[in-house]
Amino acid sequence: MKNLSTDQRRALGAFLIAIALHMLGTLLIQGYSSAFSMRAMLVLASLLAIASIGQTLVIILGGIDLSIPFVIGFANVVSAQLYGDGMSFWIVCVIVLALALVIGAFNGLVSGGLNIHPLIVTLGVGTIIQGSVLLWTAGFPSGSAPALLSDFVSIGGSAMGLPVPWLVPCFIVVIAVITVLLVRTPYGRRVYAVGNNPRAAMLALISPLGMWTLTFAISAFFAAVTGILLLGFTGSAYGEVGQPYLFQTIAAVVIGGTALVGGRGSYLGTVAGALVLTELNTLLIGLGLQPSVVQAALGLVIILLVSLYGRDPHVSTRI
Amino acid sequence: MSEQGANTDSGYRLARAIQRIVFSSAGFAPLLFVILLAINIWLNPARFAPTAWGTLLGLAAPLIGAAVASTPAFLGGRGGIDISVGPLMGFVNAVVVLVFIQMLGASSPFVIVPAALLVGVAGGVVNAFLATILRIQPIVATLGTYLVLVGATLTILPAPTGTVPPWLSQLAGTWSILPLGCVLLVWWAICRTPYYDQLMAVGSDDRAAYTAGVPVTKVRFLSFIITGLFSGAAGLMLTALIGSADPAVGPTYTLIAISAVALGGVSLAGGRGSVIGAAIGAIDIFLLQSALTYLNVSTFILQISYGAILVLAIVLTALQDRYMEQRAQRAGS
Repeated sequence: MKNLSTDQRRALGAFLIAIALHMLGTLLIQGYSSAFSMRAMLVLASLLAIASIGQTLVIILGGIDLSIPFVIGFANVVSAQLYGDGMSFWIVCVIVLALALVIGAFNGLVSGGLNIHPLIVTLGVGTIIQGSVLLWTAGFPSGSAPALLSDFVSIGGSAMGLPVPWLVPCFIVVIAVITVLLVRTPYGRRVYAVGNNPRAAMLALISPLGMWTLTFAISAFFAAVTGILLLGFTGSAYGEVGQPYLFQTIAAVVIGGTALVGGRGSYLGTVAGALVLTELNTLLIGLGLQPSVVQAALGLVIILLVSLYGRDPHVSTRI
Repeated sequence: MSEQGANTDSGYRLARAIQRIVFSSAGFAPLLFVILLAINIWLNPARFAPTAWGTLLGLAAPLIGAAVASTPAFLGGRGGIDISVGPLMGFVNAVVVLVFIQMLGASSPFVIVPAALLVGVAGGVVNAFLATILRIQPIVATLGTYLVLVGATLTILPAPTGTVPPWLSQLAGTWSILPLGCVLLVWWAICRTPYYDQLMAVGSDDRAAYTAGVPVTKVRFLSFIITGLFSGAAGLMLTALIGSADPAVGPTYTLIAISAVALGGVSLAGGRGSVIGAAIGAIDIFLLQSALTYLNVSTFILQISYGAILVLAIVLTALQDRYMEQRAQRAGS
């Protein structure tokens, strides 16, 4: 434990909580550790963790991205619609992801360039996107998911002989890529530098504006990826599909030990946070609680977990 | 004679102060307010006739209340935010109608008003404890209470129900100015105390404030309680407007209130802005909705234009700030 960094300790802590929750579930609920429920939880946690990639990067950078649920809904509806109109699935993906990059870059450019709180920019842009998508589909999205995509995320799917869909092994590769990106590449170091101290980063010849634009673009990109994956998961388009991800991505990031003030944190922590949230949700629903009670309990547990290790320093220690 | 002179003088000073507060700290919201009001009156004179002002203000009151309530938490700075304002309003609505009116049979304003405010303050105390004593980042702490409050409201109130006494309904009609006026009066009184200066100092730079001897934690603690108190009042305005208990309405106010606050020129990073600005921002959003609804455009276009105006107003405010800063620099050099 001693030679681990704070970030690593926090990520480890979140993983331990996830494991503890899993053991609790196995003790209390019959079939909690059955193959099917494990697979379902893995898929759900993977989707949440992919949606939270952008939130992690943006929060380390010192921002926050509330447009994620709206971009998820946008990608979900637009890709179903275009594919339903007979377009090739790959072209659909390219179009949707490119549009998402533009949306994200706009978010970063405006909030970084004009020094406006990203909370409000991403919220405003998200509202515009949601309205536009609803207008385009007149509120009733149609279209369908290609079989290829459904197989990729289906809970019953299998990959390389393993009893999990291809999403899960691909997600593990994604974890590795994002972690290396953050820890071992100039881009990653710049994200931490800007998050820690934008002025100092500028003196080190890093352009905070460029970093904001790029990172918000990446955030929207992965939100769009989540939207497309969710299309395969549910089989049909739904504009509100991203709404649960608004606060869940933030919760996953914070439970994983990434501080909202920026400059600190890790993607591995977020993955652990996504696991904790998924385990918790499954456990509470498995105990037969009403959805409203599950929601209240989730709120309590988030507060409890964050108060264990996600506390801010007192102002006197920051002078 | 001299008394009258002092009176006009203080009247003049008051007018200047109002002008300063409204136009220097509220960004583009006042300008937008004038334009939107003109458009609305031109479109629908009957709805905006003086006799209808009570009802009109009653319709806008919950949003204005929510925006006003959200402001103190923002002013405290360092990520100060209370996203549980909307759910707390919904919870107050449920508790007042279900527990106090239906179960206890209370109908007197002297029971119901303190009860609503007390529930609001209780919510504020919980948020204040979590965010400032336990030092959980405010957005996460209030996200927690957001979920708890939504869950609790849905548990005690699965479906809309109940009625309210006539005096309460009138607070959303003829007498709608009363609750809003009281809230603004309370805030005005707070602004007269040293606490207000301490709050702005903490919001601008908490480290400097701490070294200057300002009790930073206490100041922020109080800001969340004020937010809770005003949320209770806003919950009462909501109850007056809908005349029943509805679990679905409250939470929708959170994000729109944050938009109103930002539109009204309140710095989300703390230390700058006013409750008046937030209220004007809220009225802007209400007027926009009102005009577009009258034009019978689809709710989708309503949503797009609402987002677009928000982004545009914020960008313009930022550009104006930048321009003023440059001019100040040039004047300095």
